Amino acid sequence: MTAVTSDTSLDDARGARPAPPERGRRSRRRDVGAGFAFLSPWLVGFVVLTAFPMVASLYLAFTDYDLFRPPSWVGLENFTKLFEDPRFWTSARVTAIYVLVGTPIKLAAALAVAMVLNMRHRGQGAYRSIFYAPSLIGASVSIAIVWKAMFIDNGIVDRIGQLFGLPAGGWVGDPSKTMPMFVLLAVWTFGAPMVIFLAGLKQIPGELYEAAAVDGAGPIRKFWRITIPMLSPVLFFNLLLETIGAFQVFGSAFIISGGTGGPADSTLFYTLYLYIKGFAQFDMGYASAMAWVLVVVVGVITAILFKTSNAWVHYSGDNR
Amino acid sequence: MRITRKAAGAAAATVAVALTLTACGGGTDAAEPGSAEKVSTDEDITISLAWWGEPARAEMYEEAVDLFEEKHPNITVQTQFQDWDGYWTSRATEAAGGALPDVIQMDLSYLRQYGATGQLLDLDGQSGVNLDTGGVDDSLLASGQIDGSQFGVPTSTNTLATFYNADLLKKVGVEPLAEGYTWDDYSEWIQEVTEAGAGEDPALYGGTDFTGTFWFFLQWLIQQGEEPFSEDGELNFDEAQLTEWLNLGQGLRDSEAIFPIQKTKQLEPLGGFHVNQVASESTWDNFLAGYVAESGEDIQMLPIPSGENGPAQFWKPSMLLSASAQTEQPEAAAALIDFLINEPEVGKIFGTSKGVPAVQAQIDAMDVEPGSVDEQVVQYEEDVTDVVTEPAPVPVEGFGEIEAEFKRLGEELQYGNVTVDEFVTQWFSFADGAVKQS
Repeated sequence: MTAVTSDTSLDDARGARPAPPERGRRSRRRDVGAGFAFLSPWLVGFVVLTAFPMVASLYLAFTDYDLFRPPSWVGLENFTKLFEDPRFWTSARVTAIYVLVGTPIKLAAALAVAMVLNMRHRGQGAYRSIFYAPSLIGASVSIAIVWKAMFIDNGIVDRIGQLFGLPAGGWVGDPSKTMPMFVLLAVWTFGAPMVIFLAGLKQIPGELYEAAAVDGAGPIRKFWRITIPMLSPVLFFNLLLETIGAFQVFGSAFIISGGTGGPADSTLFYTLYLYIKGFAQFDMGYASAMAWVLVVVVGVITAILFKTSNAWVHYSGDNR
Repeated sequence: MRITRKAAGAAAATVAVALTLTACGGGTDAAEPGSAEKVSTDEDITISLAWWGEPARAEMYEEAVDLFEEKHPNITVQTQFQDWDGYWTSRATEAAGGALPDVIQMDLSYLRQYGATGQLLDLDGQSGVNLDTGGVDDSLLASGQIDGSQFGVPTSTNTLATFYNADLLKKVGVEPLAEGYTWDDYSEWIQEVTEAGAGEDPALYGGTDFTGTFWFFLQWLIQQGEEPFSEDGELNFDEAQLTEWLNLGQGLRDSEAIFPIQKTKQLEPLGGFHVNQVASESTWDNFLAGYVAESGEDIQMLPIPSGENGPAQFWKPSMLLSASAQTEQPEAAAALIDFLINEPEVGKIFGTSKGVPAVQAQIDAMDVEPGSVDEQVVQYEEDVTDVVTEPAPVPVEGFGEIEAEFKRLGEELQYGNVTVDEFVTQWFSFADGAVKQS
């Protein structure tokens, strides 16, 4: 803000200019003022709730801060501790598996359902709403609780499994089964990418399929040669959003494990460990360092995705 | 770009200033006893009160607060409560911002964390004016002091106990343990019950892995005449002792005689004992009400296993009440604490759900019906007076964290993910960073 005012006062000092542009300048200045005034709710929100905490956490990442005493500067110590911390690596591994397994399955499910819904039949709108519903409630506390109840010892999933001869005992307490449970929860909430896929599918001109049919292409060939390339910008968009979202999963993990990341650290997602470090073990400096490592990792992965997108994403109007 | 960088610099400077400012709040100078003024009776005052617990406790608190507001019509008390974990994360965040509620329910595990860092009001100043602690036993009162300053007032006491389900034992035909049993006797007994209960549906287990509870380890050290923590707030035991303790449960873990951790994790926040799949459980005596309510069966109590010199149990304040150092209404906060610990009606409302009240007038006011839970707990605490021979250990700063890590590693041990040696190494390396000298 200071930079803005000093710039304009400099302009005023130049003074000797023809009148009309001066008036224009003044009204433009009024516009700028009005613009900032209208932006101010967002600006205040951004500065107070996003920018300030981010800068603060960047500073705290280089300190030893236990929430009770003033932070003391320790340089890179938090970062070196991080790489020697076995639980840090556990949390990184848990999150990586979740992102690598959960995201593709979720996108595939979303695309499959979107394609089914794209076929013309009666009650289309109703189906769309029904399939979207889980996404509305999926991130909520109640669903995480219901999920836990379903997968618990002698819960509904256990009983269905027993009908097919699967061993009982519940998924929630078994470290080898908790990850599949979380992936299922993620996949089940495919609504948001599905709606975007559906919009993308509707954009694909029907003539392309007709022409392909005339040339003798079957449904599989049509899918790989028309649907996927035509849908690639939408696919890319969904992939990006879902990947970033998966890195930040927290709520469901917190509720299902009671905030511990258990059993046996099998659901110790990165953000959950960050939370434990900061608020349960009072090591806010360390937690801030973890947050910045996550920012960098997500940034790098996003950049890589953008780079590869040149090779497989086709925008209409491109000559590829 | 220029603006951003400038703004960033300014923001960083503001952070530094703000943090320094919050750190300045609340000194640790001892308050002059009785130096406070009497709480006002005409000025409108609003204070806040926070506690952890389940909805049942909330109802009791609300009832008690209503009574307080009747006696002090000019004071309004705003209440809030959370479960144990959520409670401490909220308080930690508030402490960082210098905005703790005026009166908070405090636990011995966290007293030093908050008291030694200037977050809590030294209540000595209020003593004799708005706060009367005369009814609380001196040694119990001392557990709320740090370096001679009273940062918390114990509301009630508890001590460890072994609970057993008499109905289940009758069903599988195993005799209950007899008083004077040792840790080894307990392990053998658990084994016996598990073998006898294997045919039940669901299978009945003798007990859970008691070695995974930090307080039991401390109790075991005390039985051997060791002080768990030194006076300057450091750990006073070594890796060999921890290894020996954890190995007490190795036989049970190897033979799978204890209730499987998979099942425990799924029952949380309840345990196997609540749902009648485990025949015994050792924990704090005020848990009885919860057990009886869930299990609906005949739950009996015993002192904990004996070491060489008997059980050597101690009274622990089951919870304390503290006031924030930042409170603008220290007089009203002290008056509320006074009311909650001394008022007979409050004792009647809470019963033994927080442990046995610290003040006799509250015990006398309880409706102790013969055969009721309250009667059983009060009776137990009377019975064990002979074996309560030790003072409660004064937790070190960071106690809450090392206790939680002990529990986590105890679960890893039961899952078979770590060995006893790995547990010991990892726990000590964690404790090195978490225990701060005050």
